[in-house]
Amino acid sequence: MRFKMYGSFRCRMVLLLLFLLLDCNFSNCLADTSSEATTHTNNWAVLVCTSRFWFNYRHMANTLSLYRTVKRLGIPDERIILMLADDMACNARNKYPAQVFNNENHKLNLYGDNVEVDYRGYEVTVENFFRVLTGRHENAVPRSKRLLSDEGSHILLYMTGHGGDEFLKFQDSEELQSHDLADAVKQMKEKRRFKELLIMVDTCQAATLFSQLQSPGVLAIGSSMKGENSYSHHLDSDVGVSVVDRFTFYTLGFFERLNMYNNDSLISLFSSYNPSMLMSTAYYRTDLYQRHLEEVPVTNFFGSVMEMIHTDSAYSLLSRKESFRVEIKMSADKSVPDKKRLMDNPSDLDQISELNIEREGTCGAGSTWRFKTYMEYYTKRDGKSRRC
Amino acid sequence: MLSAQIESNPLLFPCHFQAIFVGFDSKPSMTPDALGSSILSQMTKLTSKPPQCGTCSTNYSIAVTVDSSLGCIQTRNLEDTSSWRCGSMGTTDFSDDEGVDKALADSLGGKVYSVVVVHGDREEVRAVVGKYRHAWVVGRVSEAEAVARAAEIFVKVFVNGGKEEGLIHGEFMPVGADGKIVLSFNLLNSDPQDWVYDWDFQSIDETLLSPVIEALESVANISVESQVLYHTPKSSFSHWDDEQESYIFSTKDLPFFVNSNEWHLDTSIAAGGRSKILQIVVYIPSARECPLLLQLPNGEISKTNGFISPMWGGVIVWNPKDCLKDSESQHPLRRTISQQDLQKVFEVVMGQFRQLFGLKSNNVYVGASGTSSLLASERGFTEWELDVLSRQHTCFNLHSCATTLGSLSRLVQSLPRMIIMDEIGKQVMYSLEAATLARSNASLGLYDSSAVSSRQARYLAEDAFFHPSIMSVSYYSFEHCFAVYSPFFLPVSMHVLLAALREWRRYKQENKKYLAWKTKVKKDS
Repeated sequence: MRFKMYGSFRCRMVLLLLFLLLDCNFSNCLADTSSEATTHTNNWAVLVCTSRFWFNYRHMANTLSLYRTVKRLGIPDERIILMLADDMACNARNKYPAQVFNNENHKLNLYGDNVEVDYRGYEVTVENFFRVLTGRHENAVPRSKRLLSDEGSHILLYMTGHGGDEFLKFQDSEELQSHDLADAVKQMKEKRRFKELLIMVDTCQAATLFSQLQSPGVLAIGSSMKGENSYSHHLDSDVGVSVVDRFTFYTLGFFERLNMYNNDSLISLFSSYNPSMLMSTAYYRTDLYQRHLEEVPVTNFFGSVMEMIHTDSAYSLLSRKESFRVEIKMSADKSVPDKKRLMDNPSDLDQISELNIEREGTCGAGSTWRFKTYMEYYTKRDGKSRRC
Repeated sequence: MLSAQIESNPLLFPCHFQAIFVGFDSKPSMTPDALGSSILSQMTKLTSKPPQCGTCSTNYSIAVTVDSSLGCIQTRNLEDTSSWRCGSMGTTDFSDDEGVDKALADSLGGKVYSVVVVHGDREEVRAVVGKYRHAWVVGRVSEAEAVARAAEIFVKVFVNGGKEEGLIHGEFMPVGADGKIVLSFNLLNSDPQDWVYDWDFQSIDETLLSPVIEALESVANISVESQVLYHTPKSSFSHWDDEQESYIFSTKDLPFFVNSNEWHLDTSIAAGGRSKILQIVVYIPSARECPLLLQLPNGEISKTNGFISPMWGGVIVWNPKDCLKDSESQHPLRRTISQQDLQKVFEVVMGQFRQLFGLKSNNVYVGASGTSSLLASERGFTEWELDVLSRQHTCFNLHSCATTLGSLSRLVQSLPRMIIMDEIGKQVMYSLEAATLARSNASLGLYDSSAVSSRQARYLAEDAFFHPSIMSVSYYSFEHCFAVYSPFFLPVSMHVLLAALREWRRYKQENKKYLAWKTKVKKDS
């Protein structure tokens, strides 16, 4: 690095000069932006699994479980960045090829249809992770691999793997340091790439990973505190490895219990973690987050929001229509997709129960629709998830 | 430099207005100067203080002409004399809006915002805003009312674009960071077993879309794509309503309508990483849900059957004619949407496109002193609307450029060991030059060129900030350094230290011996 000093020095002087000249505009600028109230327009999810090797099956299952939950609650694939560091479904040691389970009852195959992995295998590196967060990609990187969030986005960042004091291990060969993560989040905030960010970490000593964060609008929860380990939940003797971690297991359990009548807030999620069941203390920090956790519904991060505005008239050249403007702001409470749907549509799909894929309690009719169409045109799908 | 002033002085454009009063024969007290000052005072009352970015600077210049049977009188201090031809409004037929618009455009020239107030015999007062940069008020108006109307049209319509606060929020600026928008038109056949529709997009693109794209050239670089998709059901539900004899979905179902799992819309190749894609979806329901109508909260059925989501795009539900399904044939029916239907659909698309840019899709402005109707333009946007958009986008782009460059310099400051490539420095320079150019154009009142330069400035600033070489990943924590280098240096340093100690001891011994020898020599001699 040293020998490139001269070139960088000159550039640096130029930039420093510009910085001084732009200095006056900072105080005004920042005052302007902080008082602007941006509306929440969309949700993104970045789900990262950082471990390789067969015995880290549970990390893959964690990430895929959360991917499934988040998709079920409404976030589409184009707004999910899924990074899996290794392939468990098609691993030679997998007795159930193309299937990933997070429970020993094997009721749910996480690696079913419609799993879109954006970064796989050796592409999951610390550098790529930061490129996703900060948006600094090469020109040729396709849109599906970019985090195209804007200032109205709520981002859910979930990381799982092996971690330690102030670091998270990637691919068994490099580390993500907490101060680098704090720096990336700071840059994201400066470039206004998110409105609110929820970081969930399921590793050993998880709380240390976000200890250096300082940007406002960030909420973080980790599965264990400094000096504590995070444990796996149970061992699946059939598959031969542990299939899920405790923190993620209880998180998923929370989302299964959600129904349409109580749209739970984040505080109920955070307080649902029982330290004796987790065998560690789930620690969360809210000092950087302005809103009260009681007021924030979980669907703010885990569900999907699309603000819809009705088009009241066509723009035609000849006729002039007078109408009013109706503006509707909806937050899609997708915790149960079948809330208040009027089911007397005669052509509606009958309850598909002959398929042997388990639907947990909150599965809505939206999913059954999907099944029927899958059956109809299975061959037309372009096979996004890999078949072994 | 100039970009430092961006925030301290919000960007204001110089505006010139002119008002023409025709036919006020019976009021000799109406002198141009008096009228001018009263309009000015009304306008000052209506503008928000402090002035928003993108609106006019507070020293308006208003030129007033009074055209009566005695001849034309104009205000004294005009930089450029009004091109109004006296007596030219005598024989105009005010029931034909298009004709009046054209005539006024010819006579006024279309560069300065103008309001023509014509005192007629008709009792009801009608106000119409034309396609170019003028408006007219016809009817039996009193002087005060005329002044109020003119001021309101100037401020609320021409300057603020028909909105109350005159500011377009960021969620209605769908231009990507590289100044490009990709309009993706998707025809969705939800169940091809019932019917399969196709459309002649090419003709629509050439006839209806290209004028619009051309009109918005200064604001964004737009490219158009289209595709037809099959097996794309929606994910919300509808119920049968006997009264309407159709399937109804309400506004509560709107957020669930877009089925992102099945609708693979984002497959554009043309869109680069930083362009914005707007999805325009024409949804054809299946026979089980045909016809499908949208019901508004007040119980009415929507006339357009369409809705938008800001920064994403819009959806229109188009029901096939009579929902006929040929139940005998095995193969799905292949039909093409007729030209008239397609035209109607595209009118709704135009309305949605305007909504996505923050303008209204209807043609009425309701103000404090009355309702004005707004004429529609075949380019989708009238001249004065394009002005408003250019001004607002210039503002937004310059603001964004300034914040980006600020963030970049803060970042560079905080990483002393980072290598910054020359390319980035050059991009920052060009960005600042473009921003300066935009500001100078703005001060001259050239809306279009300032919008283009501001777009360029924002693009370069974003390019510099998102340059892939600036990766601030540092593995070099102290523990890491220590752990890496200590196996090299510790053993060696141990030996070096021991050797040094030994040498020092030997030196001391030799020194002692030397001193002893010296004293002995001295004693001997």
